[in-house]
Amino acid sequence: MSAAAAGAATDAPVFSVRNLWKVFGPHAERVPGGELAELGPEALREEAGCTVAVRDVSFDVRQGEVFVVMGLSGSGKSTLVRCLTRLIEPTSGTIAIDGEDVCGMDKGALRELRRHRAAMVFQHFGLLPHRTVLDNVAYGLEIQGVGKAERREKAREMVAKVGLAGLEDRRPGQLSGGQQQRVGLARALAADPEVLLFDEPFSALDPLIRRDMQEEVDRLHREEGRTMVFITHDLAEALRIGDRIALMRDGRVVQCGTPEEIVGSPADDYVRDFVRDVPREQVLTVRRAMRPAAAGEADTGEALSPTTTVADAIGTVARTGTAARVVDGGRCIGVVDHRGLLGVVAGLDGDGKAAA
Amino acid sequence: MRARQWIVAAGALALLATTGCGAADMTKQASPYADAGGTRTVTLSVQSWVGARANAAVAGYLLEKELGYRVDTVQVDEVPAWDALSQGRVDAILEDWGHPAQEKRYVEDKKTITPGGDLGVTGHIGWWVPKYFADAHPDVLDWRNLNKYAAQLRTAESGGKGQLLDGSPSYVTNDKALVTNLGLDYKVVFAGSEAAQITQIQQFAKKKQPFLSYWYEPQWLFNEVPMVEVKLPEYTDACAEKGTADPSTVNCAYPTSTLKKFLNADFTRKGGEAARFLKNFHWSKEDQNEVAQMIAEEKLPADEAAKRWVERHPDVWKKWLP
Amino acid sequence: MHGDAAGPPLRSGPEPHGTASGARRPPGRTGNEVDRVSTATSPARPASAAKAKQTAAGAPGARPAADPAPGPDVDPAPGALRALWARPAARKLLVLAAAAAVLVPPAAMAWGSGAWPHALTVDLTGPLGRANDWIIDNRDHHWLFLYFFGHISGAIIGAVHAVYTVLLALGWAGVTAGAGLLAWRVAGVRVAATTLASFAVCGLLGMWVPTMRTLALMIVAVAASVAVGALLGLAAGLSERMFRALRPVLDTMQALPAFAYLMPVVLVFGIGVAPAVLATVVYAAPPMARLTALGLRATDKGVLEAVESLGATSRQRLLTVRLPLARRELLLGVNQAIMMALSMAVIASVIGADGLGDRVYQALSTVDVGSALAAGIPIVLLAIVLDRTTAGMASPRRLWAGAPRGGTGGHKLTTARTRRATVRFATLAAVAAAALVTGDKPWPGDWTVAIAAPVNDAKDWIVDHLYTGLPGIGGTADLAGHYTGWVLDPLRDGLQGLPWWGALLLVAALAWLIGTWRTALTAVLALAAIGVLGRWDVSMDTLSQVLAAVAVTLVLGFAVAVPAARSPRVDRLLRPVLDVFQTMPQFVYLIPVVALFGIGRAPAAAAAVVYALPAVVRITSQGLRQVNPGAMESARSLGATSGQQLRHVQFPLARPELLLAVNQAVVLVLSVVIIGGLVGGGALGYEVVFGLAQGDLATGLVAGAAIVCLGLMLDRVTQPTKAEKKGAGA
Repeated sequence: MSAAAAGAATDAPVFSVRNLWKVFGPHAERVPGGELAELGPEALREEAGCTVAVRDVSFDVRQGEVFVVMGLSGSGKSTLVRCLTRLIEPTSGTIAIDGEDVCGMDKGALRELRRHRAAMVFQHFGLLPHRTVLDNVAYGLEIQGVGKAERREKAREMVAKVGLAGLEDRRPGQLSGGQQQRVGLARALAADPEVLLFDEPFSALDPLIRRDMQEEVDRLHREEGRTMVFITHDLAEALRIGDRIALMRDGRVVQCGTPEEIVGSPADDYVRDFVRDVPREQVLTVRRAMRPAAAGEADTGEALSPTTTVADAIGTVARTGTAARVVDGGRCIGVVDHRGLLGVVAGLDGDGKAAA
Repeated sequence: MRARQWIVAAGALALLATTGCGAADMTKQASPYADAGGTRTVTLSVQSWVGARANAAVAGYLLEKELGYRVDTVQVDEVPAWDALSQGRVDAILEDWGHPAQEKRYVEDKKTITPGGDLGVTGHIGWWVPKYFADAHPDVLDWRNLNKYAAQLRTAESGGKGQLLDGSPSYVTNDKALVTNLGLDYKVVFAGSEAAQITQIQQFAKKKQPFLSYWYEPQWLFNEVPMVEVKLPEYTDACAEKGTADPSTVNCAYPTSTLKKFLNADFTRKGGEAARFLKNFHWSKEDQNEVAQMIAEEKLPADEAAKRWVERHPDVWKKWLP
Repeated sequence: MHGDAAGPPLRSGPEPHGTASGARRPPGRTGNEVDRVSTATSPARPASAAKAKQTAAGAPGARPAADPAPGPDVDPAPGALRALWARPAARKLLVLAAAAAVLVPPAAMAWGSGAWPHALTVDLTGPLGRANDWIIDNRDHHWLFLYFFGHISGAIIGAVHAVYTVLLALGWAGVTAGAGLLAWRVAGVRVAATTLASFAVCGLLGMWVPTMRTLALMIVAVAASVAVGALLGLAAGLSERMFRALRPVLDTMQALPAFAYLMPVVLVFGIGVAPAVLATVVYAAPPMARLTALGLRATDKGVLEAVESLGATSRQRLLTVRLPLARRELLLGVNQAIMMALSMAVIASVIGADGLGDRVYQALSTVDVGSALAAGIPIVLLAIVLDRTTAGMASPRRLWAGAPRGGTGGHKLTTARTRRATVRFATLAAVAAAALVTGDKPWPGDWTVAIAAPVNDAKDWIVDHLYTGLPGIGGTADLAGHYTGWVLDPLRDGLQGLPWWGALLLVAALAWLIGTWRTALTAVLALAAIGVLGRWDVSMDTLSQVLAAVAVTLVLGFAVAVPAARSPRVDRLLRPVLDVFQTMPQFVYLIPVVALFGIGRAPAAAAAVVYALPAVVRITSQGLRQVNPGAMESARSLGATSGQQLRHVQFPLARPELLLAVNQAVVLVLSVVIIGGLVGGGALGYEVVFGLAQGDLATGLVAGAAIVCLGLMLDRVTQPTKAEKKGAGA
């Protein structure tokens, strides 16, 4: 499904981040690019009393994609997403939204950015306990100065969209965690932003509810094609909803690519270790398992699209008993047989052999 | 909108509010309770002793019932009362035991207070012992023999010495100097308030225990606990002069003073009948004691005590009405 | 760290100081805090002994009686000395001992080893006297007074006058009905009933007019306190630097006795309502400021960030998020300001504030306990009404009022709104009708009940029977004698005999062991300031009285608190008694106390104990009751007797509260020192009273400052502070 959405992505980046640093501590600005940048975290803390949260990070978020930033706690991913709208002021580097320099924005422009172009959903919801669901959802519009009737109508619509119709007059304290996060989502959607930023939105929820919410987000993405930046520490979640994933460690992006690239071709041992337990056949596609078609094979057998997962291909191959063709735009680009497919499942396909 | 801006704005506003509208002389600001609800109000200072309350009770009663004023009483100590009188926060002090420094400052220099004549009562301060003790030991009445009784007058507070009980800090007292200069084996113990002193005296009297106390007359307590004065070295002008120069050298008895009334200067001019009435107010030691005793001993409300006295002595107060 | 504000209230009733204690500082319930305190306090005793040896000339028996460690406290055997060195406490002492070894010999050589050396004192009598004269001479024409103080004073008087006029215009029925309905609106039917009854009692006691005066003064003072406090709190809540600058100031202000505030305002404003209101504002604004700041700072960071991410301006953040979320703290702040203001309104009668306080004060001068009580009861009732009303507003149940419980929320909400509108209309109508009916009449004169006479009879009877008739110990008179002779005198002589540098070292050691080097420094500086002011001996006298009274308070307090913590019934019985004792103006019980204990330091101590006991009982029993039920259960399951449970579980686990109780006992006892001066307590209290009475502000201010220093010192010595976090990386 992620592959389907990825098709909608165009090349113009929504967010373009270059050489971004965020250093906490005294005289943080001397760290990026200086000698201190070479030190390890402990040494740096000893030496300068500084902690690097984001270290020389660059990436682009493309129009319409779900860009996931993943990493363990303390890897700097939450700081990174806050830097995008300068909820946390970056130490150095550049951030552009639709080509516009975010770091150079004055207060007013920044406020406009937050109000209209990028809305955020938080791990702990950040709802106002003294307001009703409806007023919470309408809050963003309220501070924009939208009239009461209009914003309430809009809010009602959003509440319905996230499936909370009928609960408009409850207060957050009377809702379950999942419901509260739906309110948070509705609030972010109410302003109709260009980009949605999610900061570990489902980490505080029960597994079942988390799944529901993931599907909800996925549905929204499919229906509206909104660009999303999604922070998570959960690899399964990242693989499920991400078009592209940036994997962070100690403030650095260690690998950035599609789920398939991450799982199929880990950039280093850390990533490899990270994705070890991932069911590869669910993530990797037949591109990875195919071999060039031998004579005659290009015309026979079941046709599969290149984005078919290995797991699905196994089903096809097992059913038909013969190798299947991988067809892209009516042209056969290769075949998969049981040997190739099993090789992927067993991890014998080898790292160096990246997909075409 | 930084916090500092808020503060600056608030400060500026406050400053504007307080300074923007011209001068405000706080020595001309009366009590907020005065003249509330359209009544003419007279505010009397009442000192902590009961004699003063008797004055205020009778004066207040007559002002209210005969002249139609509303009377407020405020209890403050003597020296602050002078200050309040000069500012018009009280209109009159009816019983003053002599405050030369204040008199000079406010009456002569600043002219914010005017003398209101004599109260008609003379006051006397001294050392007193209970009658039952004096009866048993007549020679205690001479200060030279006091050391003989020091042991009997010992308390926990006075340590190894005899106890000389002093009262409120607002009273004029030379007792510490006297004890030193007369070579007495006593310690001055300050009760801290007249109420405490009276309670202590009553308690001693109940148990017929001996005591030596700074005390003064007129005072209603004499009717309940008869006391006899201890003779101190005679009061002389020379001794008084010496004492004015250096209070620690005093070695003679306290003077007998004529108690005086003082009125706020503005009140004297604009107070009309009330001011004239208060100037005329003049009664005897017996009159005052009669009221004081009703208040303090019979626990009558001051109002009620005043009413009874007024009913009994129309001949006295009729003369005061303007 | 906002546990102090949002944490469980330490009381349920009105208690000007007790409530303050709730806000003063957190009981500190974290595990490592308990741990730290236990290591810090246990070696206090051997430590001071070691120091006494070290300072050679240290007077024996001079140690303050109130050991700050109330829990079971084991003296380590000599063999344990080695283990002691490993402790951080021992290290502190070592540093101190080293410093002492260097500093003391030359100091002792230069200035001797007796009381505070005369060479190090500064005589302020001259300058202060001149300042006083200058103020009196210039009050009617200097611009400072005409254009600044004059306006402040004028504004206050105008405001009080306006409120008073309105109250008079409403008449007794209007005021009663209005107050009742207001209470109903914000705090429910029960509080409304209490309010009606209370106002009726005020009228019945013949105290209507004084009550209205006090109310008028209170309304103005509380409004000003809340405004000032909220502004300060806003500044401190929004600016970290401001917060850091304000916190110690507010801490200190709350540790000071109310009387200390009277002198300076009297110096400038003279006698009357204006200085009374100002002193009240200075006294009552700190808790408001403190709670406002805490409330603002405690705003959920996540909510704030979320709101910021939506593009809210800082003003929008403040108005739509921080203030609404801090509502509970703000209302608590108002509650505290009211309680503090009420207790101050009584004390301010000494400087001519009029109203109920003045009636109590006047009754005192005729030794009329009955009349004093008649004026004291309305004060207690006002306190209860105001406390319950504001506390009702702040209770979580009503905080987010209007939150419908069921699914058909919208409908319920509208009905609630209509109902509220109806109530509001009815309120206005009723008040208007009541005002029309009664006109501007005060309480009808013949509807009063004289309670003075029976109360006085009862008092006399009690006093007569207690004075000598107590079986076993003689009577209160003997008790007072023994207390003075066996406790106070040796303690005072010991303290006064202590060499001045010894006292400084002792204080430094105690404060450092319990707190940080900062608190130790503050404590030592405060004590030194007393010496510099030339009030050393007198202050040592006061200190001895305070320490002895604190010891008695703690013994009695713990003795009462333990059963109260165990039995809900005892607690229920005790609660109203504590409420009354804490709000009753101290003036009221001065006379019975003198009648029972005679004149001197013993009755002063008795008054102090009566005043401080409720807070101590409350904090202690609260602390004991809050002990983790799991720990209690496990102790019970192991077969511990109730005594063992108390010793091994409850006392150790409730240590932070017990320490807080000690601290409160010290602060409260000290705040009654001046009242003690009125019954022969002498020393600093007497000097302040003397200063006020004689207009001798030099004496009064200096003594007041000495009390302030003493208060600071004692507060720091008994205040377990969390060690400041070191380094920013944490």
